[in-house]
Amino acid sequence: MSYLEDDLKLALQRAEPSGDFTERVLARLNAPPRKRAWWEELAVLFQPPRVQWVALTVVASVVIPIAGIQYHKEQRLRAQGEMAKQELVFAMRMAGSKLHKVQQKVLGMSQTENRL
Amino acid sequence: MTVSSAEGTAVRVQEDLERSDEGNLPAFAEIVREHQAMVFSLAYYFLRDRGLAEELAQEVFLELHRSLASIQSPAHLVFWLRKVASRRCIDQTRRRLFWPKLRLEDVPEPAARTREADPLLTRALARLVASLPEKPRMVVILRFQEDLDPSEIADVLDMPLSTVKSHLQRSLAMLRDKLARTVGEIAI
Amino acid sequence: MKILCSLTLFTMMAAAAFGQGLDLKHLDRLAAKANDTADVTLDGSLLKLAAKFLSASDPDEAKIKKLVSGLKGIYVKSFEFEKEGEYAESDVAAIRSQLKSPGWSRIVGVHSKKDGENAEIYIKTGGADGGLAIICTNPTELTIVSILGKIDLDELSDLGGNLGVPKLDLEKSPDKSDKSQPPKKKEDE
Repeated sequence: MSYLEDDLKLALQRAEPSGDFTERVLARLNAPPRKRAWWEELAVLFQPPRVQWVALTVVASVVIPIAGIQYHKEQRLRAQGEMAKQELVFAMRMAGSKLHKVQQKVLGMSQTENRL
Repeated sequence: MTVSSAEGTAVRVQEDLERSDEGNLPAFAEIVREHQAMVFSLAYYFLRDRGLAEELAQEVFLELHRSLASIQSPAHLVFWLRKVASRRCIDQTRRRLFWPKLRLEDVPEPAARTREADPLLTRALARLVASLPEKPRMVVILRFQEDLDPSEIADVLDMPLSTVKSHLQRSLAMLRDKLARTVGEIAI
Repeated sequence: MKILCSLTLFTMMAAAAFGQGLDLKHLDRLAAKANDTADVTLDGSLLKLAAKFLSASDPDEAKIKKLVSGLKGIYVKSFEFEKEGEYAESDVAAIRSQLKSPGWSRIVGVHSKKDGENAEIYIKTGGADGGLAIICTNPTELTIVSILGKIDLDELSDLGGNLGVPKLDLEKSPDKSDKSQPPKKKEDE
């Protein structure tokens, strides 16, 4: 196998997703239907059918953006954390690789000196 | 891995599959944990976006949960996950019409390097792979991440074997050319 | 340049010269000339956030999580250039002069005349906080790594020597379990 193919195997090694990935998959499987707030239940009782759509639309246009903002905030923090983690892993690997390289050189040279 | 431990794993996965199909969520969770790295990595190296890759990987497992009854064996499970993940990755890029496509020519060549594992080279190579056109990109990822041979890749991607071989040959030549210009002759 | 005969690797506890690590700002202008640049600054809350996202199930990340637990900051600047002469010796000298301050000692210096590669490792001892600095240069590359805090050099070097280099399989093993697949259509040979 060529060096390029070795390097590609290294570059494309499997990486783990975030630590709670499995939990998030299960959470999506388990997610119950959204429970209606008490005032929504009341509104349904007192309004004629065609107005329900208007009411629901108004409620949705308030609730969904708020939920959306919260969701996006959490997503942003997660993305920031993941990016920082990647930078950390890269930096530590860089440091480790340089240190290891120097160590190998020094050990190799000391073996040569001992032989002399 | 010894033969007996490989068999043991296959038996365990088969049991998890059967229990998952019966609605046992902890068993399904085990299946997710077993294969999440594979599915996530396929998406990540293809899309080069961690957040998107995680979302796509989640979708794959949700689809798996819906399709558990059709999974025949642990080997079929792996095949199914690779197939669905690959298809979703390629579909994802087609949906992103305004994604600025990074062309191979635009990716700067990595500078000359030594043969030790080099994090910068690793990162640059992953970027080069991500700049390949979609289908050749997935072929390269399946070949080098999953260690599949061309006939297996052809099955996963539902692609003629000759096309897979051609994609692989041309992609490696492009990558080799980009690297060889600075590193010199690449030993084959 | 004398080459030390052995590298002693052990856990260091040391006083940091600078709360913020080395001053590497003068290197920022090299990014415009470099083919490839890496610039990492992780300290304080960002370092803690990054560490929180490390996975215990990934062996490399688990090692890093252990290494990072005693750190206050990690700073990397790395530049790779198309041709020689893109950075000046004075760029490196400015960093070395910071490492001459009290407490810092150079423990390794390796120079190769053949390929012009140079590597230096500095540590600072004698207090509550640790410090490690690595300077690596060759004619087309300049890399500076600065780590503040308690660091285990042995484990860090081990991380760099084991990046999961795959086995060289000259041919596919015949008993791969995932070769067995459900009935499928004949591929086009």
